[in-house]
This record gives sequence, structure tokens and C-alpha cells, in this order.
Amino acid sequence: MSEKEYVYSFEEGKGKGKDLLGGKGSNMSDMVALELPIPSGFTISTEVCDVYHKNNKTYPEEVLNQIEEKLLELEKKMDKKLGDKDDPLLVSVRSGAAVSMPGMMDTVLNLGLNDESVLGLIKKTGKERFAWDAYRRFINMFGNVVMNVGHENFEEKITSMKKSKTVEYDTDLTAEDLKELCKQYKEVVKEKSGKLFPDNPREQLQMAIDAVFGSWNNDRAIAYRRMNDIKGCIGTAVNVQSMVFGNMGDTSGTGVCFTRNPSTGENKFYGEFLMNAQGEDVVAGIRTPQTIDELNKVMPECYTQLVDIYKKLENHYADMQDMEFTIQDSKLFLLQTRTGKRTAQSALKIAVDMVDENLINKKAAILRIDPNQLDQLLHKRLDPVAKKEAELLTKGLPASPGAAVGEAVFTANKAKDMAEEGRTVILVRNETSPEDIEGMNAAQGILTARGGMTSHAAVVARGMGKCCVAGAGDINVSEEEEKFTINGIEIKEGDFIT
Amino acid sequence: MSGDFAKLMEWADEFRKLKIKTNADTPHDAKIAKEFGAEGIGLCRTEHMFFEGERIKAVREMILAEDLEGRKKALAKILSMQKEDFKGLFKVMDGFPVIVRLLDPPLHEFLPKEEDDIAELAKEMDMSIEKLKEKIESLHEFNPMLGFRGCRLGVTYPEITEMQARAIFEAALECKEEGMNPIPQIEVPLVGNVKEFVLIRDIIQNVADELKVAEKVKFQIGTMIEVPRAAITADKIAKETDFMSFGTNDLTQMGCGFSRDDSGKFLGKYVENGIYERDPFQAIDQDGVGELMKICVEKARSIKPDIEIGICGEHGGEPSSVEFCHKIGMNDVSCSPYRVPIARLAAAQAALKEE
Repeated sequence: MSEKEYVYSFEEGKGKGKDLLGGKGSNMSDMVALELPIPSGFTISTEVCDVYHKNNKTYPEEVLNQIEEKLLELEKKMDKKLGDKDDPLLVSVRSGAAVSMPGMMDTVLNLGLNDESVLGLIKKTGKERFAWDAYRRFINMFGNVVMNVGHENFEEKITSMKKSKTVEYDTDLTAEDLKELCKQYKEVVKEKSGKLFPDNPREQLQMAIDAVFGSWNNDRAIAYRRMNDIKGCIGTAVNVQSMVFGNMGDTSGTGVCFTRNPSTGENKFYGEFLMNAQGEDVVAGIRTPQTIDELNKVMPECYTQLVDIYKKLENHYADMQDMEFTIQDSKLFLLQTRTGKRTAQSALKIAVDMVDENLINKKAAILRIDPNQLDQLLHKRLDPVAKKEAELLTKGLPASPGAAVGEAVFTANKAKDMAEEGRTVILVRNETSPEDIEGMNAAQGILTARGGMTSHAAVVARGMGKCCVAGAGDINVSEEEEKFTINGIEIKEGDFIT
Repeated sequence: MSGDFAKLMEWADEFRKLKIKTNADTPHDAKIAKEFGAEGIGLCRTEHMFFEGERIKAVREMILAEDLEGRKKALAKILSMQKEDFKGLFKVMDGFPVIVRLLDPPLHEFLPKEEDDIAELAKEMDMSIEKLKEKIESLHEFNPMLGFRGCRLGVTYPEITEMQARAIFEAALECKEEGMNPIPQIEVPLVGNVKEFVLIRDIIQNVADELKVAEKVKFQIGTMIEVPRAAITADKIAKETDFMSFGTNDLTQMGCGFSRDDSGKFLGKYVENGIYERDPFQAIDQDGVGELMKICVEKARSIKPDIEIGICGEHGGEPSSVEFCHKIGMNDVSCSPYRVPIARLAAAQAALKEE
């Protein structure tokens, strides 16, 4: 009698389905089957999440054994070992439930780094700055996601480092600076969590896996499921995948793209990328990225390959896809694909177009549109006369359509409270993050100073049908003082903006 | 409606079985709904035509009149306003059925509260302010939602029903004269007992006979199903009524026992705790209120298999509720104008999901 399978390599996952492997896991196995370039890895099934929670957050022996088994397989495949001092294997640990929930649950990248293996990474790649930066990001993510140390604690350190070196961007910090930051970050972890940052990579891995399973029941995941009426999922899966790096230098990069425009539905490849960056940078909206067509100028071979891939994917799934990719030393890797979230207008156009293209039939098109989303089309618009007479404060990217008026408010909790009193508010942030979701839902509209069209604020706002202006770079937001300034004008909490 | 939107709606219409109507009280709203594809008016709340300025005064006068004389005076004012309103509606919905619900003013929504409103009304009614205040006091109710409203007004003061029937029929006849094709369906609110319905129906029928309406205009007389007792005695009611329409706001209120106006305080917690998956006032409570609806449909159809059964509460535009209505074999749903496209799509999806 063979024991129950709980962990599947991406190759083994073929046809096992979303309910078992989660969206990401199932997509990984689909992509392997389609012969697309993806980094190797394995998926710990949703059943384990269920078992974990039912067993008081512990695992049956066979689960742990299978994880170890697949890890060894991965090491063999990549010809690298976790924690190795000469050529370390680094992995990402990512969540993925059967139903797509962007940004809801936490990801850890660059797992496997410690004071020893980071030197191996330097040795192997010859890139000192890159290695220390990877280590820094890892400590930050791990500390935040797994050990519950607030992100702001790390932000504080890097901000003061930048100040002391009088530089503006993270990319201006040197290898030495980053090495020092790693030390500081570890101290932050010790101080804020009361525990030492784990050095043992297998311990890091287990803790990360636990954190993903744990987060299935955190407040924001529960809120998201409630708001979107998602039921019947037994849990999330965990995907462990070999890292590829978009921040290894000028011939590396990362991006997010949609096979068709998620806002208008136009059948045009749409997306953004950043050279010399990791995935999080694009989605979190920290730097303003370039549009995807420019990739053709910067790395034409990868662009061509990407176009080829996206066409294959769209045909396979017969629906618009949202893809994440990374280029490491001129080599393209696909990290993720999923059905792309889109506005009502876009949903309509894509459905109708795909019927015209004979990709889907009328019945499928009808079933694809969410009736609740149609509400967006019947949206408010700014009165053209009033608009002419109004004072233009600033411009940003049209991340999500519509129009909104409300009192400026600077935290999600305030937005929620004020909305409950019956007031209309507009949430103003430098950038939004998953914690903000209930506030975003309560607001009439969202304004962010940073971020592009695929930033968190943009994606979530579109899905909610909320008007959102992102990347309004000229405004200066101060979340502590609860105000923003533009052109000498100060907008405080409670001031009405449109 | 843009190209893609219109196309998708066209396709949806190919597959859906439910008719989609609209809740509209004014020609303006009706027009919008028609542009969105509404196939008739599923609910015209005649009391809503009276919510502002001069008009609300007339309704208040009627409610607060001391005697038949006073009531008739107020009714005469309302008659002419109503006739014009109905003509407007029939015009916009030319050729489409229009369900007009008789006055259903829960008193607490209509009685004046502000000092100056009371003073002004007293002058209108040639009554002293104290007298008027006394009258208002005497009408005070502990449970206005279960009190003197709906067809209870008509049973107590048949002249009110008579006036409305007259306004509707005269408007229809005039429209017919002008070359249009009005299809009025008069609906009795808050029926809980077939005998109540018959009483009101007879008043309306008498006016129709007097005006010889049937010779020129096709009309129907039907009932709201919003009182649980009506759902349960639907077989008896079906014998007498031409059509039925679920008033799910009140049916939910009475069926679940939640005060529509007070439950906001605690319903949130109920949903949070999973006692109700969703707010029953937003999506039909299928396990409870839905069963009442099922019982009604079964019993009614056992007597009159072709009887038209619709819905006109807020739920009419909510996708899961539309799906439910489709599943239990109803004929149509009615919702506010901007939700008509949503209902069309939801109805199509409901039909497709069954395949």
C-alpha cells in the first residue's frame, strides 16, 4: 500500500488540478507541460494546509518526509545544495490557493541565505552587491512575513542608511552598505521578535512553509474571502521553487504583463518591467517601471520569446492571462501565470473579442462576466462642466476608471471608520499593501503617490471597481502627519478632494 | 450602451428564460430602464410619486382627514396628479405591461414631524395646530411596518382604492384614445388573506365596469406576495388573482422577523458569525424566505399553471437571487433601472448553469 501523496514536483503535478495544487501550483505544472521555461520546484498541496490546521499546526510524519524527498530531488536537479558555501541553492516560498487572491498571502524570496552561503553566492556569481542585496531582501521578507516584524522597522534602517550616504534610491547603496544593513536587519529581528534570525536553511524553509499555511487564516485573507464571497477552499498550497534573479545586473530584469489590456480590453500586450530588480519591486510600486513594449528595445530576444509564450498561454487557457517573468543574465523565465483581473469594460471586450476570434463560444462569454462587475460600467463620471471649473491639483496614472469625491484620509482604518459613519472618503497613500484592503473597499476612491499600472493599488482597485489614480509622483504624502502637499497646497485629513 | 455591452446583452437575451422588468415610479426612470432593455414595469410605487413638496401634503391630508368629506377632498387632489403620472408612464412604456401598486404608505414614512410642516398642513386643512397634533398622535403606531398600511387603507377607506383605480383607468383610456397601447396591471399590496384581496379587487372591478375599460384596454388585477400568510395560502389566492409578485423586502422582514429599519445594528454581526451567509435583505435567504417563495409558486401553479409570478424587491437585481428565481420557475424579475443589465446577465447565467 503506497502512502498518500502530499508533495508534487511541478512535473508530477500535471492534471492534478487547482483544488489540490492551488492556482500557482497547477499553473506551474501546466506550464511545464506546455514546455515553457520555468524554474524547477515542487508544490505542497492544499490538503496539507487542511491537515496542518486540523492537527493543531503540526504535520504528520509522511508530509515532512515527502518535503525532504522533493527538496533533495530539487537539489539534484539544480546541482546546488541549500546552504552550500560554494554554490548555494536559493528558493522562493510562495502561497497559492485554488482561487486567485492577489497580494493576500505572503511570499518569501531568496530563502537559503545565511552568512556562509551568501559568500558562496558571491563566489558563484562574482556579484557582491547583488548577493548582499538578495540577503538583505531575504532577511526583510522573512523577518516580516514569517517572524511578524513590521515592515516599517526595516524601512527605517534603509531610509536612514540612504540618508547617511546621501543617496535617493536603494540601487545607489553599495555592497558594503548592504552588508551592514544585513547586520542591522538581523538585529531588528532579534529586537522586535525576541528570537534570533535562523541560520539553518532547512529551518528557514520549514518556518516559511508554516507561515504560508498559517496565513490562510489571517485577518486579511479571511476578509478578502468574505468580501468576494469565496467559499469551499480547503486551504492554500505552498510552492517551493528555485530562485532566479532579476537583479543580477543590467542583463537581468523582471516584469508583470497581461496578454490583453486589463483596463480597456484592447488586444494588445500590456505590462511593465524593471531592469535589475526583483518581482516585488514592480508589484509593490516602489519604482516606476517601463512599459513592456520597451523591452523589445532593451532585450529584443527575450521580448520575442515572451510574446511567443504569451500567445501560447492565452490559447491554452482561452482567457486573458496575467504573467510574471524574470530575466536572469539574458535568460527568460516565466514565474507565474493566472487569469488576469480586469475591469468590467475590459471583461466585456475580451469576452466579445474571443467569441469573434472563435476562442470561446457565446455561452462561455456570458458565463465569464461577473454581473456584479457590470455595476462598474454604469459608473459615475465627473460632470464635464464642474470639471472645467475645478482646480487641477495633479495628475497620475489612470489605474482604475471612474470618478470619486470624498474626504482625504491617510490610513485604511480611518477610511473604514469614517465610511461606517456614512462619510465618503478617498484613501491617500504612498502605496497600498494588502493590509489596506478593507480601507480601500470602504473608500470612494484611491490615490497613491507611487506605483504603476500593475501595482497593488491598481490591481486591487480594478478588481473592486474603485476609481484609482496611481503614481501621482508630484504629491508629497506624509502618513504620520496625515496630509499631503502639492504645489504648496496642503490637503489634510477631512479635506475634500475629487 | 457601448458596442460590446450591447452585444453581450443580446447574447444574454438569447439564453435567459426570465423576463426582466424594472421598478420605476417616474417616466424618467422608466426611460432609462427601457434603454437598458427592461421589458415592462414590475413595480410602480404610487406613494413614491408623493414624496416631495406639494404632493406629500396631499397624502398627509388624506391620512389625517377627520372624515369622509375631508378625505374625499384630498383624494380629488391626488386623483389628478396620479392620472398625469400614470399617463407619463404608460407613454414611455407603450406596449409593455406596467404593474401599478396601490398606495402603501407606512405611516411613519409619511406623517409630518417638523414643526413648520405641521403648521403648514394645519393651515391647508383648516385645522388648528393642536388638533392636527392630536390627530397625528392618535395615529402613532408601535409597529408601523405591520400597521395601518397597504391594502388595509383600502379596506378601511374604500374611496382611496376607488380613486386610484379611477386614475389608472382614466389614464389608460386616454392613452388608448391617443393611439397608444397601455397595458395596466393593478397590484394590491400587503395582502395576507384571499378575502382581503377579493374585497379590494371588487372595488377596482366596479370602477372598470363603470368606465367600460375592458372594451378598449386589456388590464389585470393582481397581488403582492409579501405577507408570509399569503405565500402559504397561495392556492386560495391564485383562484382569484391574475398575477403575483413577491415583495421580498417585506417578505424577508416578516419571514425572518427582522425590522428592516432597525436590523442594521446587528445584522452585520449575524453575517460575520455566519448565521446568515449574506444579509437577507440583499440576497434572498434561500433556506428560509426562499422556501416560502417555493411553497407559494407550487401552490399557485397547482391552481393556475400559467399564472405570472414575479419579484419586485431589492433582490430582483441581485445575481444570486435572480438565479434562485429562475430555479424555482418564476416568470420575471423586476429591479431598479441601473440593475436591469445585471439582471439580464444573471438570468442568462442561471439558464446556462442548468445545462
